[in-house]
Amino acid sequence: MGNLVQIGAVAVSAALLLLVIDLVRRRKLTEEYSFIWVLCAVALLVLSVWRDILHVTARWLGVYYPPAVLLLVLIFFVFVASLYFSVVISGQRRQIEHLVEELALFDHRLRQVENNKKTGRDPHD
Amino acid sequence: MRVLILIPARNEAESLPAVIRSLRAEQPDIDILVVDDESDDATRELLSGLGVEWLRLCEHLGIGGALRAGLRHGLRAGYDIVVRVDGDGQHPASEIDHMIAPLLRSQADAVVGSRFSGSTGCQTPPGLRRMGQRVVAAWVSVATGVRVTDATSGFWAFGPRAIRVLAAHHPAGYPEPELLLLLAHSGLRVTEVPIHMSKRLAGRTSLTSSRLGLACATTALALLVAPLRRNVGEASGG
Repeated sequence: MGNLVQIGAVAVSAALLLLVIDLVRRRKLTEEYSFIWVLCAVALLVLSVWRDILHVTARWLGVYYPPAVLLLVLIFFVFVASLYFSVVISGQRRQIEHLVEELALFDHRLRQVENNKKTGRDPHD
Repeated sequence: MRVLILIPARNEAESLPAVIRSLRAEQPDIDILVVDDESDDATRELLSGLGVEWLRLCEHLGIGGALRAGLRHGLRAGYDIVVRVDGDGQHPASEIDHMIAPLLRSQADAVVGSRFSGSTGCQTPPGLRRMGQRVVAAWVSVATGVRVTDATSGFWAFGPRAIRVLAAHHPAGYPEPELLLLLAHSGLRVTEVPIHMSKRLAGRTSLTSSRLGLACATTALALLVAPLRRNVGEASGG
Protein backbone atom coordinates (compact mmCIF):
# COMPACT_ATOMS: atom_id res chain seq x y z
CA MET A 1 0.00 0.00 0.00
CA GLY A 2 1.43 3.34 -0.99
CA ASN A 3 2.08 5.99 1.63
CA LEU A 4 -0.49 8.32 0.15
CA VAL A 5 -3.19 5.63 0.23
CA GLN A 6 -2.22 4.78 3.81
CA ILE A 7 -2.35 8.41 4.93
CA GLY A 8 -5.76 8.77 3.28
CA ALA A 9 -7.05 5.57 4.93
CA VAL A 10 -5.79 6.65 8.38
CA ALA A 11 -7.31 10.13 7.96
CA VAL A 12 -10.74 8.79 6.85
CA SER A 13 -10.81 6.18 9.66
CA ALA A 14 -9.80 8.76 12.28
CA ALA A 15 -12.37 11.24 10.94
CA LEU A 16 -15.09 8.56 11.12
CA LEU A 17 -14.13 7.78 14.73
CA LEU A 18 -14.13 11.46 15.69
CA LEU A 19 -17.48 12.01 13.94
CA VAL A 20 -19.09 9.16 15.89
CA ILE A 21 -17.67 10.42 19.20
CA ASP A 22 -18.85 13.95 18.41
CA LEU A 23 -22.36 12.73 17.56
CA VAL A 24 -22.49 10.91 20.91
CA ARG A 25 -21.15 14.04 22.68
CA ARG A 26 -23.88 16.19 21.11
CA ARG A 27 -26.49 13.53 22.00
CA LYS A 28 -27.38 13.07 18.32
CA LEU A 29 -26.44 9.40 18.63
CA THR A 30 -27.04 7.30 21.74
CA GLU A 31 -24.20 5.20 23.15
CA GLU A 32 -26.19 2.04 22.47
CA TYR A 33 -26.27 2.68 18.71
CA SER A 34 -22.75 4.10 18.48
CA PHE A 35 -20.84 0.96 19.42
CA ILE A 36 -21.09 -0.64 16.01
CA TRP A 37 -19.75 2.51 14.34
CA VAL A 38 -16.96 2.94 16.90
CA LEU A 39 -15.98 -0.69 16.32
CA CYS A 40 -16.01 -0.14 12.54
CA ALA A 41 -13.88 3.03 12.77
CA VAL A 42 -11.37 1.42 15.15
CA ALA A 43 -11.05 -1.68 12.94
CA LEU A 44 -10.40 0.50 9.87
CA LEU A 45 -7.91 2.61 11.80
CA VAL A 46 -5.99 -0.43 13.05
CA LEU A 47 -5.83 -1.92 9.55
CA SER A 48 -4.73 1.43 8.10
CA VAL A 49 -1.96 2.06 10.65
CA TRP A 50 -0.52 -1.48 10.87
CA ARG A 51 0.01 -2.40 7.27
CA ASP A 52 1.37 -5.82 8.20
CA ILE A 53 -2.03 -6.91 9.51
CA LEU A 54 -3.56 -5.83 6.20
CA HIS A 55 -0.94 -7.79 4.20
CA VAL A 56 -1.29 -10.91 6.34
CA THR A 57 -5.10 -10.74 6.13
CA ALA A 58 -4.95 -10.18 2.34
CA ARG A 59 -2.64 -13.19 1.89
CA TRP A 60 -4.83 -15.31 4.14
CA LEU A 61 -7.95 -14.35 2.17
CA GLY A 62 -6.20 -14.67 -1.19
CA VAL A 63 -6.66 -10.98 -2.01
CA TYR A 64 -3.93 -9.72 -4.36
CA TYR A 65 -4.41 -6.00 -3.67
CA PRO A 66 -4.20 -5.49 0.16
CA PRO A 67 -6.14 -2.15 0.31
CA ALA A 68 -9.14 -4.08 -1.06
CA VAL A 69 -9.30 -5.74 2.38
CA LEU A 70 -10.14 -2.33 3.85
CA LEU A 71 -13.11 -2.12 1.49
CA LEU A 72 -14.11 -5.67 2.43
CA VAL A 73 -14.04 -4.78 6.14
CA LEU A 74 -16.09 -1.66 5.46
CA ILE A 75 -18.72 -3.61 3.47
CA PHE A 76 -18.88 -6.20 6.25
CA PHE A 77 -19.52 -3.54 8.89
CA VAL A 78 -22.11 -1.73 6.76
CA PHE A 79 -23.93 -5.04 6.26
CA VAL A 80 -23.85 -5.85 10.00
CA ALA A 81 -24.93 -2.29 10.87
CA SER A 82 -27.82 -2.40 8.38
CA LEU A 83 -29.01 -5.70 9.76
CA TYR A 84 -28.65 -4.43 13.32
CA PHE A 85 -30.68 -1.31 12.56
CA SER A 86 -33.34 -3.34 10.76
CA VAL A 87 -33.73 -5.33 13.99
CA VAL A 88 -33.92 -2.07 15.96
CA ILE A 89 -36.54 -0.65 13.56
CA SER A 90 -38.59 -3.86 13.76
CA GLY A 91 -38.57 -3.62 17.55
CA GLN A 92 -39.57 0.03 17.44
CA ARG A 93 -42.38 -0.77 14.99
CA ARG A 94 -43.74 -3.33 17.45
CA GLN A 95 -43.53 -0.74 20.24
CA ILE A 96 -45.32 1.90 18.12
CA GLU A 97 -48.06 -0.57 17.17
CA HIS A 98 -48.53 -1.46 20.82
CA LEU A 99 -48.75 2.22 21.75
CA VAL A 100 -51.32 2.94 18.99
CA GLU A 101 -53.42 -0.02 20.16
CA GLU A 102 -53.22 1.05 23.82
CA LEU A 103 -54.02 4.65 22.88
CA ALA A 104 -57.23 3.50 21.15
CA LEU A 105 -58.19 1.50 24.26
CA PHE A 106 -57.36 4.44 26.52
CA ASP A 107 -59.46 6.78 24.33
CA HIS A 108 -62.36 4.32 24.59
CA ARG A 109 -62.02 4.18 28.38
CA LEU A 110 -61.94 7.98 28.56
CA ARG A 111 -65.13 8.25 26.50
CA GLN A 112 -66.77 5.71 28.79
CA VAL A 113 -65.79 7.69 31.90
CA GLU A 114 -67.03 10.95 30.35
CA ASN A 115 -70.34 9.37 29.33
CA ASN A 116 -70.78 7.89 32.80
CA LYS A 117 -70.05 11.27 34.32
CA LYS A 118 -72.75 12.86 32.14
CA THR A 119 -75.28 10.18 33.02
CA GLY A 120 -74.21 10.08 36.69
CA ARG A 121 -73.19 6.41 36.58
CA ASP A 122 -70.31 4.95 38.57
CA PRO A 123 -67.25 4.95 36.21
CA HIS A 124 -66.23 1.51 37.54
CA ASP A 125 -69.47 -0.09 36.32
CA MET B 1 -71.06 -16.80 28.04
CA ARG B 2 -70.41 -13.21 27.00
CA VAL B 3 -69.89 -12.85 23.26
CA LEU B 4 -68.40 -9.88 21.44
CA ILE B 5 -68.53 -9.32 17.69
CA LEU B 6 -65.33 -7.62 16.57
CA ILE B 7 -65.36 -5.77 13.25
CA PRO B 8 -61.99 -4.48 12.01
CA ALA B 9 -62.81 -1.72 9.53
CA ARG B 10 -60.83 0.39 7.13
CA ASN B 11 -62.74 2.49 4.61
CA GLU B 12 -65.98 0.55 5.07
CA ALA B 13 -68.34 3.56 5.29
CA GLU B 14 -70.56 2.25 2.49
CA SER B 15 -71.09 -1.21 3.93
CA LEU B 16 -70.67 -0.83 7.70
CA PRO B 17 -74.19 0.50 8.56
CA ALA B 18 -75.81 -2.40 6.68
CA VAL B 19 -73.46 -4.92 8.34
CA ILE B 20 -74.35 -3.55 11.81
CA ARG B 21 -78.09 -3.60 11.00
CA SER B 22 -77.84 -7.20 9.88
CA LEU B 23 -75.90 -8.22 13.00
CA ARG B 24 -78.37 -6.39 15.26
CA ALA B 25 -81.33 -8.10 13.56
CA GLU B 26 -79.76 -11.54 13.77
CA GLN B 27 -77.95 -11.24 17.13
CA PRO B 28 -79.73 -8.54 19.20
CA ASP B 29 -78.10 -9.58 22.50
CA ILE B 30 -74.48 -9.69 21.37
CA ASP B 31 -72.22 -6.67 21.90
CA ILE B 32 -70.48 -5.23 18.86
CA LEU B 33 -67.10 -3.49 18.69
CA VAL B 34 -65.84 -1.74 15.56
CA VAL B 35 -62.11 -1.00 15.31
CA ASP B 36 -61.46 1.74 12.79
CA ASP B 37 -57.99 1.29 11.31
CA GLU B 38 -57.48 4.98 10.51
CA SER B 39 -59.94 5.09 7.62
CA ASP B 40 -59.63 7.79 4.95
CA ASP B 41 -63.33 7.77 4.13
CA ALA B 42 -66.38 8.64 6.28
CA THR B 43 -66.04 5.55 8.53
CA ARG B 44 -64.67 7.59 11.43
CA GLU B 45 -67.56 10.07 11.26
CA LEU B 46 -70.05 7.18 11.19
CA LEU B 47 -68.75 5.44 14.30
CA SER B 48 -70.48 7.48 17.01
CA GLY B 49 -73.85 7.15 15.26
CA LEU B 50 -73.80 3.38 14.81
CA GLY B 51 -74.90 2.59 18.35
CA VAL B 52 -72.00 0.21 18.96
CA GLU B 53 -68.76 0.38 20.90
CA TRP B 54 -65.79 1.53 18.84
CA LEU B 55 -62.05 2.03 18.96
CA ARG B 56 -60.17 4.29 16.61
CA LEU B 57 -56.50 3.65 15.80
CA CYS B 58 -54.66 6.93 15.28
CA GLU B 59 -52.27 5.31 12.78
CA HIS B 60 -52.96 2.69 10.12
CA LEU B 61 -51.71 -0.62 11.58
CA GLY B 62 -53.37 -3.14 9.29
CA ILE B 63 -55.67 -5.99 10.23
CA GLY B 64 -53.29 -7.47 12.84
CA GLY B 65 -53.13 -4.28 14.94
CA ALA B 66 -56.88 -3.69 14.69
CA LEU B 67 -57.59 -7.24 15.85
CA ARG B 68 -55.06 -7.10 18.69
CA ALA B 69 -56.65 -3.89 20.00
CA GLY B 70 -60.15 -5.37 19.71
CA LEU B 71 -59.15 -8.65 21.35
CA ARG B 72 -57.44 -6.80 24.18
CA HIS B 73 -60.65 -4.84 24.71
CA GLY B 74 -62.56 -8.13 24.75
CA LEU B 75 -60.12 -9.64 27.24
CA ARG B 76 -60.21 -6.66 29.59
CA ALA B 77 -63.99 -6.35 29.42
CA GLY B 78 -64.37 -10.02 30.36
CA TYR B 79 -65.79 -11.48 27.14
CA ASP B 80 -65.55 -15.27 26.78
CA ILE B 81 -65.93 -15.41 23.00
CA VAL B 82 -64.88 -12.93 20.33
CA VAL B 83 -66.24 -13.37 16.80
CA ARG B 84 -64.31 -11.61 14.05
CA VAL B 85 -66.59 -10.36 11.29
CA ASP B 86 -65.39 -8.31 8.33
CA GLY B 87 -66.93 -4.91 7.75
CA ASP B 88 -67.63 -5.50 4.06
CA GLY B 89 -70.64 -7.76 4.56
CA GLN B 90 -68.99 -10.99 3.40
CA HIS B 91 -69.60 -12.77 6.69
CA PRO B 92 -73.34 -13.34 7.19
CA ALA B 93 -74.70 -12.74 10.69
CA SER B 94 -76.78 -15.90 10.31
CA GLU B 95 -73.58 -18.02 10.48
CA ILE B 96 -72.48 -16.70 13.90
CA ASP B 97 -74.42 -19.28 15.97
CA HIS B 98 -72.90 -21.96 13.78
CA MET B 99 -69.42 -20.51 14.37
CA ILE B 100 -69.60 -20.30 18.17
CA ALA B 101 -71.28 -23.68 18.70
CA PRO B 102 -67.97 -25.67 18.98
CA LEU B 103 -66.68 -23.09 21.50
CA LEU B 104 -69.84 -23.38 23.63
CA ARG B 105 -69.42 -27.17 23.61
CA SER B 106 -65.73 -26.74 24.58
CA GLN B 107 -64.73 -28.70 21.48
CA ALA B 108 -62.34 -26.03 20.24
CA ASP B 109 -60.39 -22.94 21.28
CA ALA B 110 -60.88 -21.24 17.93
CA VAL B 111 -63.22 -21.77 15.01
CA VAL B 112 -62.63 -20.73 11.43
CA GLY B 113 -65.40 -20.48 8.87
CA SER B 114 -64.43 -22.40 5.74
CA ARG B 115 -65.74 -21.59 2.29
CA PHE B 116 -64.39 -24.82 0.87
CA SER B 117 -65.55 -27.55 3.21
CA GLY B 118 -68.92 -29.22 3.63
CA SER B 119 -71.84 -28.84 1.29
CA THR B 120 -71.39 -25.10 0.75
CA GLY B 121 -68.92 -25.94 -1.98
CA CYS B 122 -66.17 -23.81 -3.40
CA GLN B 123 -67.13 -20.15 -3.66
CA THR B 124 -64.02 -18.92 -5.41
CA PRO B 125 -63.83 -19.43 -9.16
CA PRO B 126 -60.95 -21.62 -10.34
CA GLY B 127 -57.83 -19.71 -11.28
CA LEU B 128 -54.56 -18.51 -9.88
CA ARG B 129 -56.16 -17.22 -6.68
CA ARG B 130 -57.90 -20.51 -5.91
CA MET B 131 -54.71 -22.42 -6.71
CA GLY B 132 -52.80 -20.21 -4.25
CA GLN B 133 -55.46 -20.82 -1.60
CA ARG B 134 -55.13 -24.58 -2.14
CA VAL B 135 -51.34 -24.47 -1.84
CA VAL B 136 -51.47 -22.43 1.38
CA ALA B 137 -54.15 -24.70 2.85
CA ALA B 138 -52.09 -27.79 2.00
CA TRP B 139 -48.99 -26.24 3.54
CA VAL B 140 -50.81 -25.29 6.75
CA SER B 141 -52.39 -28.76 6.92
CA VAL B 142 -48.94 -30.40 6.77
CA ALA B 143 -47.44 -27.95 9.29
CA THR B 144 -50.26 -28.30 11.82
CA GLY B 145 -51.12 -31.95 11.25
CA VAL B 146 -54.79 -30.99 10.96
CA ARG B 147 -56.70 -30.89 7.67
CA VAL B 148 -57.35 -27.27 6.72
CA THR B 149 -59.49 -26.45 3.68
CA ASP B 150 -59.57 -22.65 4.01
CA ALA B 151 -56.39 -21.05 5.37
CA THR B 152 -57.28 -17.53 4.21
CA SER B 153 -60.75 -17.12 5.72
CA GLY B 154 -61.27 -14.00 7.83
CA PHE B 155 -64.36 -15.34 9.61
CA TRP B 156 -63.21 -16.50 13.05
CA ALA B 157 -64.53 -17.15 16.54
CA PHE B 158 -62.09 -17.21 19.44
CA GLY B 159 -62.57 -18.80 22.86
CA PRO B 160 -60.98 -17.57 26.13
CA ARG B 161 -57.55 -19.19 25.64
CA ALA B 162 -57.22 -18.01 22.05
CA ILE B 163 -58.29 -14.50 23.10
CA ARG B 164 -55.51 -14.41 25.71
CA VAL B 165 -52.85 -15.52 23.22
CA LEU B 166 -54.00 -13.36 20.32
CA ALA B 167 -54.62 -10.17 22.33
CA ALA B 168 -50.84 -9.91 22.46
CA HIS B 169 -49.66 -11.93 19.47
CA HIS B 170 -52.23 -11.84 16.64
CA PRO B 171 -50.09 -11.90 13.47
CA ALA B 172 -50.01 -8.91 11.14
CA GLY B 173 -49.93 -8.49 7.36
CA TYR B 174 -52.16 -11.11 5.70
CA PRO B 175 -52.37 -13.02 8.94
CA GLU B 176 -54.79 -15.92 8.55
CA PRO B 177 -52.39 -18.73 7.51
CA GLU B 178 -49.87 -17.69 10.16
CA LEU B 179 -52.71 -17.46 12.68
CA LEU B 180 -53.54 -21.12 12.12
CA LEU B 181 -49.89 -22.07 12.71
CA LEU B 182 -49.63 -19.86 15.80
CA LEU B 183 -52.73 -21.37 17.38
CA ALA B 184 -51.58 -24.94 16.63
CA HIS B 185 -48.08 -24.12 17.91
CA SER B 186 -49.60 -22.73 21.12
CA GLY B 187 -51.42 -26.02 21.70
CA LEU B 188 -54.86 -24.57 20.92
CA ARG B 189 -57.53 -26.60 19.13
CA VAL B 190 -58.81 -25.10 15.88
CA THR B 191 -61.93 -26.38 14.18
CA GLU B 192 -63.29 -25.53 10.75
CA VAL B 193 -67.01 -25.16 10.18
CA PRO B 194 -68.48 -24.89 6.70
CA ILE B 195 -70.00 -21.49 6.04
CA HIS B 196 -71.46 -19.67 3.08
CA MET B 197 -69.95 -16.28 2.49
CA SER B 198 -71.82 -13.41 0.83
CA LYS B 199 -70.51 -11.00 -1.76
CA ARG B 200 -68.98 -7.83 -0.36
CA LEU B 201 -71.52 -5.03 -0.15
CA ALA B 202 -69.09 -2.33 -1.27
CA GLY B 203 -65.42 -1.56 -1.67
CA ARG B 204 -62.61 -3.68 -3.04
CA THR B 205 -60.29 -6.26 -1.58
CA SER B 206 -57.09 -4.83 -0.12
CA LEU B 207 -55.28 -7.67 -1.88
CA THR B 208 -54.84 -5.90 -5.21
CA SER B 209 -52.70 -7.46 -7.92
CA SER B 210 -49.84 -5.06 -7.14
CA ARG B 211 -49.81 -6.22 -3.50
CA LEU B 212 -50.36 -9.89 -4.27
CA GLY B 213 -46.68 -10.66 -4.89
CA LEU B 214 -45.56 -9.08 -1.64
CA ALA B 215 -48.42 -10.74 0.25
CA CYS B 216 -47.44 -14.17 -1.15
CA ALA B 217 -43.76 -13.61 -0.30
CA THR B 218 -44.43 -12.46 3.29
CA THR B 219 -46.94 -15.26 3.85
CA ALA B 220 -44.49 -17.86 2.51
CA LEU B 221 -41.74 -16.54 4.80
CA ALA B 222 -44.11 -16.43 7.78
CA LEU B 223 -45.17 -20.03 7.12
CA LEU B 224 -41.54 -21.14 6.96
CA VAL B 225 -40.49 -19.31 10.12
CA ALA B 226 -43.61 -19.70 12.30
CA PRO B 227 -42.96 -23.38 13.22
CA LEU B 228 -39.42 -22.47 14.34
CA ARG B 229 -40.59 -19.80 16.79
CA ARG B 230 -40.68 -20.21 20.53
CA ASN B 231 -44.06 -20.57 22.17
CA VAL B 232 -45.73 -17.23 22.86
CA GLY B 233 -47.18 -16.27 26.21
CA GLU B 234 -50.73 -15.27 27.01
CA ALA B 235 -51.78 -11.67 27.66
CA SER B 236 -53.18 -10.83 31.05
CA GLY B 237 -56.55 -9.14 31.39
CA GLY B 238 -55.15 -6.13 33.27
